[in-house]
Amino acid sequence: MSTTLAPGTALPGTAISTLGWKIPVILGIVSVATLLFCGILGPDSSASFGISQSGDVFQIPELTLPGKATGIVLGLVMVAITVWSVMLRRQGRSIPAWATAVFVAAFVMAFLTAMVGGARLHEISLAGLLGGSVTLAVPLVFGSLSGVLCERVGVVNIAIEGQLLGGAFTAALVGSVTHSAMLGMLAAAVAGALVSMVLAVFSIKYLVNQVIVGVVLNVLVSGITGFFFTTLLQPDFEHLNTPPRLAEIDIPLLSAIPVIGPILFKQSIIGYAMYIAVFVVWVALFKTKWGLRVRAVGEHPQAADTLGINVNATRFWNVTLGGAIAGIGGSYFTLVAVDSFTKEISGGRGFIALAALIFGRWNPIGAFLAALLFGFADNLQSLVTIIGTPVPSQFMAMLPYLVTILAVAGLVGRSRGPAASGEPYVKE
Amino acid sequence: MKISKQTRGFGALAKRGSLLGVAGVSAAALVLSACGAAPDQKSGSTAGASNYKACMVGDTAGFDDQSFNQSSYEGLQKAEKDLGISINKAESKSNNDYEPNLRAMTGAGCNLTITVGFLLGDATKAQAAATPDKHFAIIDFAYDKDIPNVKPIIYDTAQAAFLAGYLAAGTTKTGKVGTFGGMKLPTVTIFMDGFADGVKYYNEKKGKNVQLLGWDKDKQDGSFTNSFDKQDVGKQLTKGLIDGGADIILPVAGQVSKGAGAAVKEAKAAGKDIKLIWVDSDGYLTAPDYKDLMLSSVMKKMGEAVETVIKEDKGNTFTSKPYVGTLANGGVDLAPFHSMDSAVPADVKSDLDQIKKDIIDGKIKVDSVSSPKQ
Repeated sequence: MSTTLAPGTALPGTAISTLGWKIPVILGIVSVATLLFCGILGPDSSASFGISQSGDVFQIPELTLPGKATGIVLGLVMVAITVWSVMLRRQGRSIPAWATAVFVAAFVMAFLTAMVGGARLHEISLAGLLGGSVTLAVPLVFGSLSGVLCERVGVVNIAIEGQLLGGAFTAALVGSVTHSAMLGMLAAAVAGALVSMVLAVFSIKYLVNQVIVGVVLNVLVSGITGFFFTTLLQPDFEHLNTPPRLAEIDIPLLSAIPVIGPILFKQSIIGYAMYIAVFVVWVALFKTKWGLRVRAVGEHPQAADTLGINVNATRFWNVTLGGAIAGIGGSYFTLVAVDSFTKEISGGRGFIALAALIFGRWNPIGAFLAALLFGFADNLQSLVTIIGTPVPSQFMAMLPYLVTILAVAGLVGRSRGPAASGEPYVKE
Repeated sequence: MKISKQTRGFGALAKRGSLLGVAGVSAAALVLSACGAAPDQKSGSTAGASNYKACMVGDTAGFDDQSFNQSSYEGLQKAEKDLGISINKAESKSNNDYEPNLRAMTGAGCNLTITVGFLLGDATKAQAAATPDKHFAIIDFAYDKDIPNVKPIIYDTAQAAFLAGYLAAGTTKTGKVGTFGGMKLPTVTIFMDGFADGVKYYNEKKGKNVQLLGWDKDKQDGSFTNSFDKQDVGKQLTKGLIDGGADIILPVAGQVSKGAGAAVKEAKAAGKDIKLIWVDSDGYLTAPDYKDLMLSSVMKKMGEAVETVIKEDKGNTFTSKPYVGTLANGGVDLAPFHSMDSAVPADVKSDLDQIKKDIIDGKIKVDSVSSPKQ
């Protein structure tokens, strides 16, 4: 089967290559700024990056980079890539992806060295920086996977925040009552799915504007969980709000690899589930018959219907599944991160997940990488404030959002979502 | 799009019905979210002889925050029992609730309305101007210009935090201690200032070089979670402090401090010896989950202050002169070490007693740009 597309529209998730001067110009500005601020005006003192953590089996000495020299060298590398991109552009070609990657890596390293070198204390733990980035990204990844599943099938899911919060609350309550973290996690999935079902019913059956239902659901879940927290959980704290923790599962040997070992092989069940979920959702959406149907419903529901796919049923169950995944992400707050629920514990992360989904171009792997970038920027800003950066902490706090805007506007290019996302489907 | 054009007629019909549905859901949401904020009548006429009424409006953290809302409210409850007055309270669900809650309180005939927290500063000022015959007290906030019917209840927390800084510097084994705040507000950074000075005083006195991570007093900048909700961010920040080598952590972040507790618990399970210093109330008692990790706490005794102010107002001796909690009047203090008593070196303990005396006598001056002006 095939879905027909109007001429001129690209497949969702593919960037429309705009072979203009935009990319060389952005590269130029960034590389000159790096050379200037991280290199020539960079710090005189050197920056140390701890690689091993105390207690690791293999101890690797820390990496010490001279502040100014590193900035200048990396800045020059970036300038060289810019020049090359200009030359390529004049031949009508665009810069290869690996060069962009080198450019970004050089920028991050130059920025880090300048920040750490210019700080009050000149040392930062690289393992902590990367490990913490993944930790902060976990709920975002689950939230954006929920968004991917919903939007791919044609339903806009603004209620991710509510699904996360509902999951966090239910996990704490059920975990405390049953003394089982696993049951808490399952209950969180059910809670997320229930929130999603409300979204599904209103948007599919009653054709209500999906954005409005989503916003209202967020307020509703915030109200319900806040109310029950005050009236139920708080008065009987010991029995209702002390869920057991999901233990970290340490895979021997592999977890001893410096830096990436703990990230990949020393996680809670939810952490491992995150990696698996990203892969499974990607395979299911893009490599199976089910995925093709789902995407057809999201792109052109009428065509899908003509071919015998039950559009509304597909939408309903996909949205429900998405909610369950976000619910599990929510349980991360109360079963892994901390061991009790408090009001608004999700703190707006559902909206960041929504941004990660768009930034990741409605693709599970893209959303995963976008969430990691958020986590990295978020963790980086808090770690450099610990050692006392030369940049005021308020500016550092903008970093995650600044990175997103730059990445979306500058490096990603134009992208578009599933054509029928947000459009209710009514069979004639 | 083709389909939507053809179905618009039907869609519009269906939408009318569904609007009711959305209205229903949003009404439910509003009712539920309002529940937390609704002023609930307490005792009322049962209070008997006195028709004096003291009321309280909390900030968004809620009266169950195991921190300053809670201890203020406990002071109000104590006043109800001790002074035989009637009380009323309203919790705020969002920043938009402060003004309506305050209006509701003055409307309900409260003689004195106590507002909890910096965030209610503007709303309290507005309501005080609107109802000049009513009295107000605001915790943790002072105005640049005196308002005749508002009594600020403020704390020179830096004095007690100074003791905590000295204690931490004298107890650390790694030579590094850490702190972070919830938001960069004067009532938060005053803890960090005092803590920094205490560490510095220890270094000067003992010729040591204990480092403080997370706050630079000279620059008035450091680590913040920029939220009082995101506990996992607080946990991550604490992990960062521990990775950086700190073994005593002072989180000044309301609910987010629990994230620090979780991080310290994990570090302890991994075999590291990390300790916590709690703020606002004695964490050993108010945050039982983490009591085994508590070295001490920097306490602001809100309850006492609330009761004192109510007593004054009831006895017609209300003034707008701020109540300033200090080490001298017992409004701020360092909590006992409880189970950590043996972890604190004996000379540090005796030094702390001496420093406390010196601060009270004015021999040691604790400065912070955030200290209340007296």
